[in-house]
Amino acid sequence: MRVNHRFVCLLLLAVAVRGAPAQQTPRSIARGVPQDAPRSITIDSRLAADASLHVGDRVVVAAGTGEPGDTVVIAAITQRRADPAEIARGEYRVRLHLGQLQSLLGYGDRVDRFAIATPSAGATADAVARINASAFGFQAHRSADVAVETSKTFAVVSRFHRAIGTITIVASAIFLLCIMLLKVDERRRDVAALRLIGCTERTIVGSVVLEAAAIAVLGSLFGVVVGGTASFLVNRHYQAVYRTPLRFSIVTGDIVLLAVALALVLGIVAGWLAARRLVRTPPLALFGR
Amino acid sequence: MTAIVEVRDLAREYRMGDERVPALRGVTFTVHQPEYVAIVGPSGCGKSTLLNLLGVIDRPTSGTVSIAGERVDQLDDARATEFRLRRIGFVFQRFYLLQALSARENVELPLAEAGMSTRERRARALELLEYVGLGRRERHRPSQLSGGEQQRVAIARALANRPALLLADEPTGELDARTGAEMIALFERLNRDGTTIVVVTHDEDLARAAKRVIHMRDGTIVDDVRVDPADRRVEPVGLAPEPHER
Repeated sequence: MRVNHRFVCLLLLAVAVRGAPAQQTPRSIARGVPQDAPRSITIDSRLAADASLHVGDRVVVAAGTGEPGDTVVIAAITQRRADPAEIARGEYRVRLHLGQLQSLLGYGDRVDRFAIATPSAGATADAVARINASAFGFQAHRSADVAVETSKTFAVVSRFHRAIGTITIVASAIFLLCIMLLKVDERRRDVAALRLIGCTERTIVGSVVLEAAAIAVLGSLFGVVVGGTASFLVNRHYQAVYRTPLRFSIVTGDIVLLAVALALVLGIVAGWLAARRLVRTPPLALFGR
Repeated sequence: MTAIVEVRDLAREYRMGDERVPALRGVTFTVHQPEYVAIVGPSGCGKSTLLNLLGVIDRPTSGTVSIAGERVDQLDDARATEFRLRRIGFVFQRFYLLQALSARENVELPLAEAGMSTRERRARALELLEYVGLGRRERHRPSQLSGGEQQRVAIARALANRPALLLADEPTGELDARTGAEMIALFERLNRDGTTIVVVTHDEDLARAAKRVIHMRDGTIVDDVRVDPADRRVEPVGLAPEPHER
């Protein structure tokens, strides 16, 4: 089994990972565990990558560099959760047995928080009420409430995104309308010729609106492809930078539907307005006479 | 001969602020089937205004216009559009074909507007393209055709609904001499085959090819002569006070 010779930092602890000779008997800090059987720990993939550690490797955990510690075996390498709250945190994650952790920290038996599983929502409410009524020094919360509380920052960010999106859509709508008016205006002579050969206003407006709708749908689909590609690149980049499976940008089905529907409506309205403006102009004026 | 166009005391004034500018002053003439009439004159003489009134795209200040026996000088926009579709064919100086459509589809356009079935209008469009010598270029887009070919497509489009009257506004204006000559030959052939044509032009060759030439100046007809192509003699028609030789 390979033994590592490097030092890494672990949460608030300085954990020395140092070479442990194969013949050395590691000191166990848990009761009931054979002296020659090292206890196991799990580390996260970030630590594993930075320290070139693998499952099965033996390492020594200690409170500081050069201090005596326990030789343990890496039992598993965990992947980080896709948690937005964790992307900017640079520390490593290591799971130790509780006694081992207490020994390293120098604390006694102390628990900050713990979770209770309940069979139903009703049981959860009941448990919360009972704990809060009887337990001194503890405050019980539903996990859903905790999640909402911790994600408030992201809700604000999300609102900002929504506001930016709305402004972008309004600006795009005005831009699209102007473009449509200009593009249709370029065809004033074609429209005049169509009217002279006997095409009705309905036919002309219908064809312009149909074309505008087709362009809008094609444009929106193109935009979805561009957005999807950009989203993929953004995710690849930031997932590499922050070493997280978190997806920073997602193009959902709802967003695609909204984009296509919105573009379609805008295209139809813009095409209709532009075409109506042209067909209401006398053909001679369209010819510039 | 059947009168296709009957114009009586036609006048058209335009308002320029408080001022009234007369473009036509009491024009009267008749065109029978199948005449080939060229309207010529200097710029601003009123010939385009006259063509617009014959094409039911403008309304006169006074006077009457009848085409194929129907009064058209006071038609509302919808009825004028319908009338143009069924009874009048337009040929423009700049062709005005739809670039997104093929030659055949451009010719099919007025047929589709008239409610003809897909099969019928395709057959009719091909027949017309064959007639103007473009049977093998039906799938080409206007950008793939020369100026002369585009004008032929425009003529085929104008003939689509078998109009009583073909109106052309400077149809050779954008063409070179050789292509212009081909166009003149095509107009002569159309007329020989029974199409009544009124053309507004500055092109002397095109005017000479017509059977009748109406000269305009200052909003009035100053000369109306029938051309004998055999010996190039001209005979006065209606208002022309003196015979003219061309």
